[in-house]
Amino acid sequence: MTTATGTPITTRTDGNDPAGAMPLPTRRDEAWRYAPHRDLARLAFGPAPQAVDVPADVLAGIPQLGGPLVVMVNGVVDSELSQLESLPAGLTVHPGGGADGGDSRLAPHTELDAAAPVDAYDALNRSLSGNGVSVLVDAGEQIDPPIHVAHLLHPGDAPNAVCGRVRITLGEASAATVVETHVSVGDLAGGASVRTSIVLEADATLEHLVLQDLSAQQMLLARIEVNQHPRSRLRARSFNLGGRYGRIASQVDLVGEGAEADLAGLYSGSGDQVLDQQPTVVHRAPGCTSRQAYRGVLDDSSTGVFSGGIDVRPGADGTDARQSNDNLLLSRQAEVDTQPRLEILADDIACQHGATVGQLDPTALFYLRTRGMTEDEAGRVLVNAFADQVVEEVRHDAVRDWLSRRLGHDHD
Amino acid sequence: MSGMLREELEGLAEAGYEFGFSTELDTDIAPPGLTEDTVRLIAAKKNEPDWLLEWRLAAFEAWQQMDEPDWAKLDISPIDYQAISYWAAPTKKPQLDSLDEVDPDIRDMFDKLGIPLHEQKMLSNVAVDAIVDSVSVTTTFKETLAEAGVIFCSFSEAVRDYPDLVREHLGSVVPVRDNFFAALNSAVFSDGSFCYVPKGVRCPMELSTYFRINSENTGQFERTLIVAEDDSHVSYLEGCTAPQRDENQLHAAVVELVAKDRAEIKYSTVQNWYPGDENGVGGIYNFVTKRGRALEDAKISWTQVETGSAITWKYPSVILQGDRSVGEFYSVALSSKVQQADTGTKMVHIGSDTTSSIVSKGISAGRGQNTYRGLVKMLRSAENARNYTQCDSLLLGSDCGAHTVPYIEVKNPTAQVEHEASTSTVGEDQLYYSRQRGLSEEDAMAMIVNGFCREVFNELPMEFAVEAQRLLSVSLEGSVG
Amino acid sequence: MLEVTNLNASIDGNRILNGIDLSVGSGEVHAVMGPNGSGKSTFAHVLAGREGYEVTGSVALDGADLLEMEPEERAAAGLFLGFQYPVEIPGVNNMYFLRTALNSVRRARGEDEISAREFLAVAREAMALVEMKPDFLERSVNAGFSGGEKKRNEILQMAVMQPRLAVLDETDSGLDIDALRVVASGVEALRGPDRSMIVITHYQRLLEHIRPDVVHVLVDGRIVESGDHTLALHLEEHGYRDFGEQDGAGQRLSGV
Repeated sequence: MTTATGTPITTRTDGNDPAGAMPLPTRRDEAWRYAPHRDLARLAFGPAPQAVDVPADVLAGIPQLGGPLVVMVNGVVDSELSQLESLPAGLTVHPGGGADGGDSRLAPHTELDAAAPVDAYDALNRSLSGNGVSVLVDAGEQIDPPIHVAHLLHPGDAPNAVCGRVRITLGEASAATVVETHVSVGDLAGGASVRTSIVLEADATLEHLVLQDLSAQQMLLARIEVNQHPRSRLRARSFNLGGRYGRIASQVDLVGEGAEADLAGLYSGSGDQVLDQQPTVVHRAPGCTSRQAYRGVLDDSSTGVFSGGIDVRPGADGTDARQSNDNLLLSRQAEVDTQPRLEILADDIACQHGATVGQLDPTALFYLRTRGMTEDEAGRVLVNAFADQVVEEVRHDAVRDWLSRRLGHDHD
Repeated sequence: MSGMLREELEGLAEAGYEFGFSTELDTDIAPPGLTEDTVRLIAAKKNEPDWLLEWRLAAFEAWQQMDEPDWAKLDISPIDYQAISYWAAPTKKPQLDSLDEVDPDIRDMFDKLGIPLHEQKMLSNVAVDAIVDSVSVTTTFKETLAEAGVIFCSFSEAVRDYPDLVREHLGSVVPVRDNFFAALNSAVFSDGSFCYVPKGVRCPMELSTYFRINSENTGQFERTLIVAEDDSHVSYLEGCTAPQRDENQLHAAVVELVAKDRAEIKYSTVQNWYPGDENGVGGIYNFVTKRGRALEDAKISWTQVETGSAITWKYPSVILQGDRSVGEFYSVALSSKVQQADTGTKMVHIGSDTTSSIVSKGISAGRGQNTYRGLVKMLRSAENARNYTQCDSLLLGSDCGAHTVPYIEVKNPTAQVEHEASTSTVGEDQLYYSRQRGLSEEDAMAMIVNGFCREVFNELPMEFAVEAQRLLSVSLEGSVG
Repeated sequence: MLEVTNLNASIDGNRILNGIDLSVGSGEVHAVMGPNGSGKSTFAHVLAGREGYEVTGSVALDGADLLEMEPEERAAAGLFLGFQYPVEIPGVNNMYFLRTALNSVRRARGEDEISAREFLAVAREAMALVEMKPDFLERSVNAGFSGGEKKRNEILQMAVMQPRLAVLDETDSGLDIDALRVVASGVEALRGPDRSMIVITHYQRLLEHIRPDVVHVLVDGRIVESGDHTLALHLEEHGYRDFGEQDGAGQRLSGV
């Protein structure tokens, strides 16, 4: 397979090449309608290059959460940079590379892997990422400190794109927080396809945060798959901030009765960034609840994309699903493409979605100016207020502080 | 939901189709198949000028290069375009000097449909163009309209009598290459309606076209063109029925509207083509391209009530080209039995201060699948443009589906878009409350569903609103009790 | 007129009504009072035929067996239920709803349908009774109505339907003093020798406006005491505790 520019997509040499059967997505593929295809075509995927120096300031630039830290450089765990000593009881972290010893708790992930890849990047990921890192919480355990998986992308010349893999299982009635950050080493063009699969057993509770802050020429293609068993609860927050193209696609399958998924996200773009959110919640069991609330702020000539789905399958009676997407356009060149989808095949359900696109409320701007603020200040206050509705819901101070600094709202 | 109610709801799909009769008319039918010769045959049958034949041939060539669209949420058995006859016309089509000369069989047929073609019997404020299979059989009230300067005639007559008007506007809103079905229509369209409202004229009556597919194994490809000059106003109604047959029949129409400065066109459709039976046998495949272009301060309003057809693929759209132009789309779409509807609208905002509103009510019953698919596009030039979309779905039963697929693309920061949607079922408490007041369950259901559609029905002219409510009730009639 | 004998009802296996016996004569007004959760609303809905209850016992209205009937047949037999929470039906015009309901009932009784003109006269009269503005009938059934408007709408419907037996379920709840007066005087005006009423209420205050002939106390799904209107005053002073304790369920009685 070759890309539009003729660059070969490098794959493993062992002949295991499922990507070969799948063409790269184009504008005609609904899920990739607004992606920057020309830049994507320049990605040449391959195995992680050997030995990379990571300057200290890169690690200093990510939120310091004080808990277990897994540092993955180009998709491979760096055990020297990671802090995995004295893990809390009930928590297991396998650094991948065949070191998981066939842990039976990973079996559900193997089942997820058996499903056909959804697109060429997903196929590449399966072929190139290996086992990746695994985070396992024993049944009944409450892990208090956030577990931090930091993905460091350091592209080479060719290949310039790598794959990463994270597997998370929470045993019955356990609880944990997992934070995934995506940051760059250097500013060479490149990208990463990172696949995270999450299995929440009955009554488990997971808070899952994604912070994407790559440098300007890099692209993240993140895919998050979640399987939720009865009464399990997911609270997912994504912050899609950096990169040339930041794509966070989640598929949450509510397979057990009474499961709850609460998804929210903020995308804040400038320059010529394209920030793409693709959350889909599939209600497969009765009595489940889901919420999706995403907000976008688009400046300069950036583009925000939201394609969110509520998918209610036959038999998922008593579904209660809501979705909202609100966008602020701050510049004449900025663009928002939003597609809130409902696919309903069950009755006795209540589903709602709403989407808005607009600019700052002139009345509110005027009001603030009558109180003495400059137009710029007033605008900043209003934009921050809009974005803070997502930021303030983050429970961990270190993450919230990092977000406030990153978004330039140091108001406290 | 209680078992009994569920049973009744599921029974709602089994309504009769009251327009399923067919009429024995002597008909001139071309053999099935579509080649360049077919296109030439149609043009020859109609004595068309060369420019129109050339236009058709260009469309045919384009069509051959195109693929059927596959993005809609529709499960369609393959259509053999070579098995369809592209020309069918009642042979007694006479040069009519007066309505009394209309073939009595045709008159009877329209009487049966509740559309009398005798002017003295008609509602005094509606002029009718009646189209059977491919051909316009009569147009009423021509003289009254002519006094006001309004041209309302069959498309064929328009080509003959007003070639310049037709040539100027034909394909100006829906180009021949627009999509697969529009290209097909452009190549083989047989007849349709043409309406021209001159500057400053307010059309003195409602105009309406009744379409009837009668022959077997024929496709219907009509074309409607409405041109409203500056400061004019016209309201247009369209009704459709077809006989009950076991084969699927293809209907691929194109409607083009041109609303010039400060003009207003209101276009209402009650579509009740044969939907097929409970097992999905038969029914019309309805692939329609409808689009209007609104110039400065113009307004185009689409209202549709779609209860028929096995497949509906239809997105009446407005290109809001002129500053301050207005686009509206009000829709009720019902899918029961094994019907599938993928319908919605496109509002393309180009001019500044343009506004559009979309109100869509989808009802799914039986094994029906109903999809709202809509695009709201604000281009960079669409300064201070506004859109409001309200999109509600109602599910009656557990074997049907309701889907909402909006696309919102905004490139101007001063534009404002608001989209709201909901999917729900008929509330058991609403049914109980109504029954406590003495209504039967079936009447209560019909009343609640009609209430759900109220905002759309309010947009229809009075006679059509009554008709639409009745149609909806008939389509939902079940085996209650 | 109404004979309720050993009426039992349960929902999902939970017994709510435990053998109610009640006899209401023509023209009588009975009040049924009881604490929260005593089964008052269930009693009203079982009379009206709401689905979802397992019901045994018998209910006869003018000798006809109500329990065998669908809700709309009960309405045609002359039963009217004033809902505690009147249901909103968006898009359905209030007047159209009421006229269709009235004509359904008339058809079921073999009577002629009422003409639009006659109906309007009847509706106007009923509107005056509940002090409603003319635009009220043009709005959708209960949609966007205030609590007070909804309750007035119930009384308006009752005035138009002219039932044999009206069951008013907590018609006083959520009303301010003015609305309460309007609703109560509406009910009072509809009293007559051929019409009986069962007024279900938690508080005594409605009964200051509508003096009942008989007051029943409902506790744990049973009528534990019946008396004249002074019983309501007693309850106002002492609450339901007396009756609850004698039934061994004192702790469950709250909100009195």
